[in-house]
Amino acid sequence: MIGGGDDAARARFFARVSEAVAARATKRPAPEYRDAVAFARDVATNGTAEAVALAVPADALATEKRLARFRERLESAHGRLFTDAGALTAWLAAQGARHGYCDPALASMFAAALALPGAPSLTFETELERARIDDYRFGVTRAAGAIAETGTIILDDAHTSRRLAALAPWIHVAVFAPEQIHAHVADAIAALGDDPNVIWCTGPSKTADVEGILIEGVHGPGAQIALIAAA
Amino acid sequence: MSTNPGPNPPDAVDRFAAAQGQERREAVRLGSKAGHEKRTEILFRDYADPDGLRRLAGAIKQHALDHLDVYLPRAEAQLRAHGAQVHFAADAAEARDQVLAILRARGALSVVKAKSMVTEEIELGPFLAHHQIESIETDLGEFIVQIDDDHPSHIVKPIIHKNRREIANSLERHGLGPYDDTPEVITRRARAFLRNKYLGADAGITGANFVSAESGRLVLVTNEGNSRFCLAATGCHIALCGIEKIVPRDRDLGVLLNMLARSATGQQLSVYTEFLRGPRAPQQADGPEEMHVIFLDNGRTRVLGSEYREILRCIRCGACLNVCPVYRQASGHAYRGVYSGPVGAVLSPLLAGSEFATLSDLPKASSLCGACNEVCPVDIPIPDLLLRLRDRAQRTQQESDGAGGGDRTGGTTVPPGSMTAFAEVATRPWAWKGALATGGLVNHLPQSLRPKALRVWGQNHVQAPWRGGVFRKWLAQRRRS
Amino acid sequence: MSARGAVTKSAPRRRVSLMATCLADAFFDDVAQATVEILEHLGCEVSFPEDQTCCAQPAFNAGEWDSARRVARHTLGVFRGDDAVVVPSGSCARMVDHGALLLFENEPDQPAVEALAHRTWELCDFIVRGLGVTSWPGRVKARVAFHRSCHSRGTRYTESALTLLRSIDGVEVVPFGEGEQCCGFGGTFSVGFPHISRAMGSLKIDHVLAAKPDLLVSADASCLMHIGGLADLLARNPQRVPNLPRGAPAGDPPPPDAIQLPLARKHIAVVLRDALKSSGAIA
Repeated sequence: MIGGGDDAARARFFARVSEAVAARATKRPAPEYRDAVAFARDVATNGTAEAVALAVPADALATEKRLARFRERLESAHGRLFTDAGALTAWLAAQGARHGYCDPALASMFAAALALPGAPSLTFETELERARIDDYRFGVTRAAGAIAETGTIILDDAHTSRRLAALAPWIHVAVFAPEQIHAHVADAIAALGDDPNVIWCTGPSKTADVEGILIEGVHGPGAQIALIAAA
Repeated sequence: MSTNPGPNPPDAVDRFAAAQGQERREAVRLGSKAGHEKRTEILFRDYADPDGLRRLAGAIKQHALDHLDVYLPRAEAQLRAHGAQVHFAADAAEARDQVLAILRARGALSVVKAKSMVTEEIELGPFLAHHQIESIETDLGEFIVQIDDDHPSHIVKPIIHKNRREIANSLERHGLGPYDDTPEVITRRARAFLRNKYLGADAGITGANFVSAESGRLVLVTNEGNSRFCLAATGCHIALCGIEKIVPRDRDLGVLLNMLARSATGQQLSVYTEFLRGPRAPQQADGPEEMHVIFLDNGRTRVLGSEYREILRCIRCGACLNVCPVYRQASGHAYRGVYSGPVGAVLSPLLAGSEFATLSDLPKASSLCGACNEVCPVDIPIPDLLLRLRDRAQRTQQESDGAGGGDRTGGTTVPPGSMTAFAEVATRPWAWKGALATGGLVNHLPQSLRPKALRVWGQNHVQAPWRGGVFRKWLAQRRRS
Repeated sequence: MSARGAVTKSAPRRRVSLMATCLADAFFDDVAQATVEILEHLGCEVSFPEDQTCCAQPAFNAGEWDSARRVARHTLGVFRGDDAVVVPSGSCARMVDHGALLLFENEPDQPAVEALAHRTWELCDFIVRGLGVTSWPGRVKARVAFHRSCHSRGTRYTESALTLLRSIDGVEVVPFGEGEQCCGFGGTFSVGFPHISRAMGSLKIDHVLAAKPDLLVSADASCLMHIGGLADLLARNPQRVPNLPRGAPAGDPPPPDAIQLPLARKHIAVVLRDALKSSGAIA
């Protein structure tokens, strides 16, 4: 049966769980710990082993520091960052990515960059057609945020006009404002919100399944770009 | 993978290791070693006290397991509240039937699958094929395994045992282009082939790395983008999830995610971490309008109620495989199941239920070195669990021998019951001293009359000279003077 | 081994009981002898309960827990009292202070087992943390490769052993690759899974030899028995060690063209005793 199942079977299932749990004489209580986990060896720490591991860094990273840290981590994960749409379009042209998709909400920004003197002639669509999915060499969509600690771009259904647009083209450009960058993984967890599909993207898709050799661009994008734009 | 219902020799893992070709053994050994080194490097780079974090993560998971009667219904309620449909499968057969029912209701003829150990555990692929539903593995390694009709040999790196030539041959055999063993070409061909499959599929099937009871969020941890594609291209999502994947709160996910990718592949995070709370948002054109979560028992509640319950903390990172010297020599296939390495040596016999005896040799295929526990991100006391399982194996064997189960001792080097004789001598000081005095005589026996253990030892070692009683004599003399 | 919370040790007195180990009783008398000499030099009154046999680890590891409990109970009786028990073996010490607790989990005499656990010490740990001795006299000129046995995981035995070794004038402790990897003994594992055990031992030998030590030292005679016995066999039959293909990646030791054996090895008790002799502290 779909959509909830057989009540009696569900009751039996839960009865087995309860019975199993009751067999445990002493149950482990929920451990206490502070949220942000130390991410740098240079964080001064003292105290119990758990506190040592979990000390909150003294500065919670101001916005510019977050952007700098985000850039460093994104680049070490083989992503790229642009703060200027003009530089981005030049790069796209250099990659031979002449046609793609752009979120309608970003279309005027993107078109403006392409209208600048010396801009390359790229074309884009604001509607995605599945049947021609491989026509789109790049996809430009909005991100919900980012994580400085790991160089991660955060996507979700509310901000991503089309899931396929952020996934199928070889190059994905995620657009967001620097204020949207969280310092740590723990902060991003706290900000998950209500969206049914939050995706953390850390660099281009990759595999090392063939002899442990790293290959980028598997099913997802082979190039992960962040475009920092004012909110 | 089905377990072989017949008895296996107690040294099955050793024989498998011995029969392996040098090339394959080196591929596994060096691949594992590299994984271990990456883990060590990043954990000690990023954290002042990785061991403190392992204990914390272990405490979080143990707490969740100890209170699963609270957290499971909470997860269910959250999922339903956000539009997902929740099912409970007592065993593999029920899970398969539930998947089939969901697919039939949608008229699904083709599904795309992201990597999921649970789906292998319940043997979903062959079942769907039998019901004329095409089920395609999309994780590159699993895809190669599928077209090769092979089995994965590592929890995280399913084709660690294959080299590029074997893979290129497989692709050629399956019409994916003429032989080319360049890793990049292999990957691009798989990308192009599978892209069409995603776009033509009726449903996407995934597992789940974690489920938060607080928000109902499923978490999928991948690198390739295949699970994202399953969830962007199809209209129906089915997630299969062992009940042990539940964690109490979203913030606990932070700790576990910080440990998972670092332990598995030496990354801070995997490339994609997806937090799924329900079907797609109403204004989103891509993605599933229907989301199903099937919680699976399949022996887990029995383990949960037992003295082996800590194994359920496992977050499937593969770090224990990477460091295990026995896994490195034997490779994953030696473990004859979905789960291999140290975690497999504990979990497989336990999940086998009444077939425990068919896998009871696995816990013995270990020198109890403890490296597995040392790297486990959730601090599972694997060596202690292996020891408990050896005790259980021995008692199970005694019962079956007593009930006329027959002699399983044929050919074993250390037959069950050997220690009874040892105990007879080791509890009688006069017998012990006698053995010390006369033990050296065994060396004068012809090879064929020596105990088997001694002969096997002699194949790999020059024997140390027998010096039984020498120390005691020395001490007695020292005390006199 | 799993961290089960440190077993806190009660303060040691100068009277100690020696648990010689069954291996020393049968093969390595010099290890037990050296242990007595060292402890007496350090001012301990060493008693050797003659009825001792074995810590029960072989039976415990084999899963024959009824037999293991019989042997462990015998040992419990032999070592009854309050004296610190000192044993020149990390693996036996761990059996007494960790394995036995598992073995007797549901047994009525569990408290007695726990009491013994609290006063049993591995030798180097006893010297450094029990007696507070952190520097050792004498001179031993040697490049030493120290193999820490797997049973030292979760303990401070290795820290103690290295403290003593490094303090000996002339000793240079040299690192070698993949130190965390087991040597392949594992008791009955070595005969139950001989191919894997041999491969593990061969890898260990290759890594040790690549460091070009004068001496391999360990605080566990069992590991040395396995590594040494295999090394001696390889020395008699020089052949390609079947673990390292030519052109092994960087980080693996270079394949030895000829195996540089024999591999000299000593238990740390013997090294410490020999150092004492060199200093004239003992005859």
